[in-house]
Amino acid sequence: MLKSWDTNLLSREKQTLRSFFLLYTVFTITLLSILGAIYYNFQKDLMLQKNRLQLSYLANEQVLRLKALHVNFDKDRTYPRDKRFKSAIYDSSKKQIFSTFGKKHIDFNEVIYMEDSKIYLIKEPESYYLGTKYLVLEVPSNNAWLSKVYKTLALYGVAIFLLMMVFGYFLLKLLLRPMREAIELLDRFIKDTTHELNTPVNAIMSNIEMIDKNTLDDKLAKKIKRIDIGARTVSNLYQDLTYLTLAHKIVSKDENVDLEELLKERIEYFSLFCESKKLRVRLTCGAKTTLHIDRKKITKVVDNLLSNAVKYNKVKGSIDIKLGKNYFEVKDSGRGIEKAKISEMFDRYARADESVGGFGIGLSIVSMIASEYALHVEINSEFKKWTKVKIWW
Amino acid sequence: MVVKFLIVALLQVAIFASIYETNCMECHKSMPVKIDKFFYRYLLKYSSEENLKSALTEYLKHPTKEKTILQAGLLNRFGIKKPTTLNDKELKEAVDEYWEIYKVFGKLK
Repeated sequence: MLKSWDTNLLSREKQTLRSFFLLYTVFTITLLSILGAIYYNFQKDLMLQKNRLQLSYLANEQVLRLKALHVNFDKDRTYPRDKRFKSAIYDSSKKQIFSTFGKKHIDFNEVIYMEDSKIYLIKEPESYYLGTKYLVLEVPSNNAWLSKVYKTLALYGVAIFLLMMVFGYFLLKLLLRPMREAIELLDRFIKDTTHELNTPVNAIMSNIEMIDKNTLDDKLAKKIKRIDIGARTVSNLYQDLTYLTLAHKIVSKDENVDLEELLKERIEYFSLFCESKKLRVRLTCGAKTTLHIDRKKITKVVDNLLSNAVKYNKVKGSIDIKLGKNYFEVKDSGRGIEKAKISEMFDRYARADESVGGFGIGLSIVSMIASEYALHVEINSEFKKWTKVKIWW
Repeated sequence: MVVKFLIVALLQVAIFASIYETNCMECHKSMPVKIDKFFYRYLLKYSSEENLKSALTEYLKHPTKEKTILQAGLLNRFGIKKPTTLNDKELKEAVDEYWEIYKVFGKLK
């Protein structure tokens, strides 16, 4: 189906852009996430270090109480409690002896850490009072630091993300410059070449028309015919290139065009080409069909479809042209297009088969004109058998 | 009649007394430092059940100055005890009972 031509970029270039943008965004987000995680952990460690000294004092107080309890255990068995913290004691095999905060998994490899908005300090007393190798203190964490960290992360995260996007935009432009330059160079070359083609082609064609074919012997007539075909081919190419390079300057003169009449006229124009390849051309017309369109442009569409049908056809092949109420189609018996390549056929300079001459601009022009008049273009093909291009509205 | 009753009662006590009671408690009863104090000294040094039992068993089987947890004063006064005459099974039974009686687990409130 017809592709959008709202920008100058080719679809492959746009695909490259999309892939790059996606990759770049993922990379940026990943990088920011890693930096964010590092910053968060750094801030958390800073907060824990601030709390560590104070908690160590509390732990020392608790150790003294445990020591006292150890000495008087035969008289008093009440675990020492403190309003400022909860605590637990563990033996050297990390078995809980007693706890005021219930059973919890404790990370004994840490000295101080945070979990579920609670800070845990692990202290090892100098002697195992009541068998205590690890004294664990639990205090609730003050979440003020967390909201401050989140605010900083959000602010700097968004700022860096935007900065990276701007950087990415310029990087993209830099990356695409060679691609754009190559396309521009080709366009410029075609524009310059086109300009130089006009005069000699017109001279050849007008002089051929002036020759009285009846006065020529068969051999010479054949040669003149070949020159005529060649000149028409160059003329077609000239018109295509002119359209392509000056499309934006051409003002449309829309009128009701009788498509049957137009098709017959263009088939006649291509008859020499068909004869040279011994092609059988068949036109099937349904109802009388007219289209309100610029004559030159619809002629360009038909010419390109016929030109392709001839160019990519086999010798003694056929071209079937059908005209219906809301469509016309051109089917050849040529070499066909591989399925994977069909979607690329509308791209400028895209070629399904490099073995035949051409610039790969025909279908690009068809697509541009179709887009202008909201016509639909559909390509169907069976590789090495046939290709059918249908224009419908 | 009363004498008979007393003999039967003593026999019953002798039969039902544990290895710990007959082999450990009996000697420690006469010492100025009670047996529970020894337990808490062991706990202070060895912390876990496994470490404590292993150290205590080792000391009872092969008592040395280096292994003892006795304070210097007590050590000078009472010296090092003799190696136990209990076999491994009996020793383990005695040590287990000792742990169960004085352990801290489940006793704090």
